[in-house]
Amino acid sequence: MAIAEPATNILDSKIPSGPIQDKWDKCKFDLKLVNPANKRKFNIIVVGTGLAGGSAAATLGELGYNVKSFCIQDSPRRAHSIAAQGGINAAKNYPNDGDSIWRLFYDTVKGGDFRSREANVYRLAQVSNNIIDQCTAQGVPFAREYGGFLMNRSFGGAQVSRTFYCRGQTGQQLLLGAYQALMRQVSTGKVEIFSRREMLDLIVVDGKARGIVTRNLINGEFETHTADAVVLATGGYGNAWYLSTNGNGSNVTAAWRCHKKGAFFANPCFTQIHPTCIPRSGDYQSKLTLMSESLRNDGRVWVPKRKDDSRPPAEIPDSERDYYLERRYPSFGNLAPRDIASRAAKLECDKGHGVNDTGQAVYLDFRDAIARDGEDVIRAKYGNLFHMYKKITGDDPYHVPMQIYPAVHYTMGGLWVDYHLQTTIPGLYALGEANFSDHGANRLGASALMQGLADGYFVIPYTIGDHLARHSFEKIPEDHDACREALENAKGRVNKIMSIGGSRTPNQFHKELGAILWDYVGMERTKAGLETAIENIRGLRSEFWEDLKIVGKNEELNQVLEKAGRVADYMEFAELIATDALNREESCGGHFRQEHQTSENEALRNDDDYAYVAAWEFNGVGEAATLHKEQLEFENVPLATRSYK
Amino acid sequence: MNWLIRALSSSIGKKFVMGITGLLLCGFLITHLAGNLLLYVGAEEYNHYAHALHEQKMLLAVAEVGLFVLFLAHVVLAVVTTRENKLARKQNYDVKETKQKAPLFAYFPHDVMWTSGVIVLGFVLLHLADFRLGLRNPGPEGEEPFDKAVRLLHDPITFGGYIAGVLVLGMHLSHGFSSAFQSLGLNHPKYNKFIQCAGTAFAIIIAVGFASFPIWAVMFQ
Amino acid sequence: MSHETINLTLKIWRQPNAETEGRFEEYQLEGVSTHASFLEMLDILNDELIEQGIEPVAFDHDCREGVCGMCGMMINGQPHGPDLETTTCQLHMRRFEHNDKITIEPWRATAFPIVKDLVVDRSAFDRIITAGGYVSVNTGNAPDANAIPIPRPDQQQAMDSAACIGCGACVAACKNASAMLFTSAKVSHLSSLPHGKSERSERVLKMVAQMDDEKFGSCTNTGECEAACPAGIKLEDIARMNREYLRASLCSSGQ
Ligand SMILES: Cc1cc2nc3c(=O)[nH]c(=O)nc-3n(C[C@H](O)[C@H](O)[C@H](O)COP(=O)(O)OP(=O)(O)OC[C@H]3O[C@@H](n4cnc5c(N)ncnc54)[C@H](O)[C@@H]3O)c2cc1C
Ligand code: FES
Repeated sequence: MAIAEPATNILDSKIPSGPIQDKWDKCKFDLKLVNPANKRKFNIIVVGTGLAGGSAAATLGELGYNVKSFCIQDSPRRAHSIAAQGGINAAKNYPNDGDSIWRLFYDTVKGGDFRSREANVYRLAQVSNNIIDQCTAQGVPFAREYGGFLMNRSFGGAQVSRTFYCRGQTGQQLLLGAYQALMRQVSTGKVEIFSRREMLDLIVVDGKARGIVTRNLINGEFETHTADAVVLATGGYGNAWYLSTNGNGSNVTAAWRCHKKGAFFANPCFTQIHPTCIPRSGDYQSKLTLMSESLRNDGRVWVPKRKDDSRPPAEIPDSERDYYLERRYPSFGNLAPRDIASRAAKLECDKGHGVNDTGQAVYLDFRDAIARDGEDVIRAKYGNLFHMYKKITGDDPYHVPMQIYPAVHYTMGGLWVDYHLQTTIPGLYALGEANFSDHGANRLGASALMQGLADGYFVIPYTIGDHLARHSFEKIPEDHDACREALENAKGRVNKIMSIGGSRTPNQFHKELGAILWDYVGMERTKAGLETAIENIRGLRSEFWEDLKIVGKNEELNQVLEKAGRVADYMEFAELIATDALNREESCGGHFRQEHQTSENEALRNDDDYAYVAAWEFNGVGEAATLHKEQLEFENVPLATRSYK
Repeated sequence: MNWLIRALSSSIGKKFVMGITGLLLCGFLITHLAGNLLLYVGAEEYNHYAHALHEQKMLLAVAEVGLFVLFLAHVVLAVVTTRENKLARKQNYDVKETKQKAPLFAYFPHDVMWTSGVIVLGFVLLHLADFRLGLRNPGPEGEEPFDKAVRLLHDPITFGGYIAGVLVLGMHLSHGFSSAFQSLGLNHPKYNKFIQCAGTAFAIIIAVGFASFPIWAVMFQ
Repeated sequence: MSHETINLTLKIWRQPNAETEGRFEEYQLEGVSTHASFLEMLDILNDELIEQGIEPVAFDHDCREGVCGMCGMMINGQPHGPDLETTTCQLHMRRFEHNDKITIEPWRATAFPIVKDLVVDRSAFDRIITAGGYVSVNTGNAPDANAIPIPRPDQQQAMDSAACIGCGACVAACKNASAMLFTSAKVSHLSSLPHGKSERSERVLKMVAQMDDEKFGSCTNTGECEAACPAGIKLEDIARMNREYLRASLCSSGQ
């Protein structure tokens, strides 16, 4: 495999010294401050208006910076975060069941299969409580008990109830909170919104990020925006697999273009495949719908013991059902973490126990919960999810068990960032799902919302000031060489796409790419498979540049062109995903290499050789990327084999 | 006073005035109906009531001016908001279907408030021309009110206009009554059913009550 | 999940941009699986159109699970199609019959200019929120989340209103193209919670003023918005906003 080795280790994670509990305080104290009167002299670009970008832009505006906020949707309120259902974690310990900052920290590091940075995770757990306070004050209507106090539910990978929620629409409510805070800053004039804009390149001047180039999606105009720092919060890249639970607009473009400008990309192969999604039904399918993990609080997962059993589920007696999660993981049962539950489902289906026409589904059954609590209680908890399921499949889960199957859901990988959330390009920060984040090789449920808001509300407002205070910033004119170079770069790519004149649509290419990734870089990966994937991706990429068909012009709303640009980036990026997966000769979290497993089919980590973050440096499309390693130290949560038995 | 002008010229303020004037006009309808019902009690009682009323010159003048203002406000606001509402959608849909439970008749009363309003306005003008101003069929000097009413109701135009007018009025009220409560912010799941039913009942009582007079006049007098 | 396929005639509004006049075009589409969603049906159409060198139909969409509020079109004269409490992306083709003719139009309202085909500009909604649809609390100001208990019915009510997805179906359905349901949902959400009470007067006055400035029509209480709302927002919210507005106008010092 082609991997270039770096000359020296240049990654500085900037983790503060001292005991883990004091690191963030120490960091905050050591950061240089920008005095309040000077803040208004600085301009900051925030790309993305999801939980991470929305909260960051609002907070930076409150502090007094001039903020420009960008998103591809028609309104900041529609960022993909809106779709998150289940909830958000915090270490409040309101239920008095033994939770603490330390336990949330511990669970997250362990849940991430020891591939995350301890210091970041601890900070995340520390600020988690402030998030709940902040959101409540904004008017986020979290579920409450009759006494008026906050309520919690349980999520996978934890034995305490620490998840706050707003029915099945937690992401929506949190995002609306951030959106409203953002619009409040718009009304004060501190934030300016640029919607229906797609970032296509980064402007780098003297090694520092100083602006972006965007395409106005309505009229195709290319625009240059300069600033003193750029914050990227553009979400995850699960759509590389074509079918995922992500919104259709989610993409890797912004992150990838920054990567091409020098930002390292970390752990791209760490992808979360979520166990409870509605199975595929046909070729026309455009997305897979998540059924919240919270359903596993009451639903029981099972398959028929007999292979290819085609009886309707109600006719299969208990003795002939295999509740395989409860059997294999008695202490966590149906609440086993996602990576484990997904792989278990795949294993059962591969053995021939899958249900549905395709054999690619397992049951999630509420029969016992309804018998125990009554239909009303179940309806109150999950009514909208059941309703959604019925709308999509036509089946009524109150009477027939749901059918579920794993689907690509979340990407733990992303741009490499240090403790300040700064990428390897000074002045370029990455937040939320766009960074390689705090989740290691597997994210626990309800932790992405927590991380996005932690980054945006409570980390970046402190750390960005340090960069601004430490450097001097000259104004960059729009015709600066760097601006022109970035502009030409963005335009050139669009022109190239427009001029191919082939016969296949971007969607068809995307589907084919997705199939390669799903088959070879999905839930189970092998050396040979990954090598095939790389070869196939390269082949498909060259076909793409020869045979792509676009209709319409650049100068108007052209959704085919938008899509083609994103697929073009996936074509390049997919190779890096496969390369990273090939390099990581171990199984951990969402990354399962068939060669590395225990006799019980559990993931087998290799801490001696792979307890590092793989940060890739771009050397050109199709060129070997350079692998930089950030060694991970586990001083507080001792390295151990994850067990949920 | 700025705040008052602003409040009254806002969309909600206009609807509020519309609702209040509408409800006050409903109040007038009740007293008017009650007075007219004396026709059924007997000519003497009716005439006595009419004379007593006409003797209250001051009161009558104030009441008439008041009614005129209420009516004018209601009509002017209807014109203004209807025009604004038309401007809010300059191009219509090719196909438009409701998502509400199918209406009882071809239209929901709320879809034809403007049309029903215009018809009611026409009826009111006719009614005033007949009964208040005596423009179309002036009666003999000193005619007793009871005789005047019966005589006028025998006029085919008055008769037809009266019946059609009050039926359309009923339709107008069947939406207008409960709608006024909504505009005034008086909506609560506990009372909504009641307000709805009261609105329908009120509309029926007014329509049937008034429509009975011309029929009675023609059939029994 | 058994499969069945249907053929359709689609009559779709095509308009290249805001300045150019639009018109209807008819397309035949064959063999659409009844398990496909409405938007997937349009995806299939679009892929066929691209292959024929025809510009595909532009329509907004993102989450495709009924929560982002991006999708929305008039389907046979009904916003988001025939199903109650369902967005276009959640509508499935099993709702249609073989050989059906489906008319698809954009939301039509002066305040929502057409951008292209079925895509409209809903930024008026953003401006209504900007006018006051928030609680003024800076990051870091908040007391402990449990410091102020919120009675459960209030929280539930706030959540009912907060569920609005901002799709614009209420405006599209209303014969007056009124935005009262949208605006009132936010007013109701925030005024039901203790944290939103301090600014309740300012909020409703400013939001309504902005709503009026945006050239939406006024409410004539027809209830079409409520019936069309995919998120189940109720007319009670409009009444609540009317109350809030009167209260703020008559009894508060709010400007
Ligand atoms: C169905 C579903 C359910 C989930 N449920 C949960 C849950 O219950 N709990 C939990 O913790 N997590 C959950 N997650 C994960 C979580 O929602 C996401 O990880 C998180 O919301 C990501 O937030 P973000 O701010 O990083 O990015 P996003 O919300 O994805 O925002 C990305 C932003 O970037 C903009 N953007 C992207 N590219 C460009 C570009 N090139 N130019 C300009 N702008 C751009 C977009 O317009 C958007 O505004 C769920 C995810 C899914 C898919
Ligand atoms: S696409 Fe998000 S609501 Fe339909």
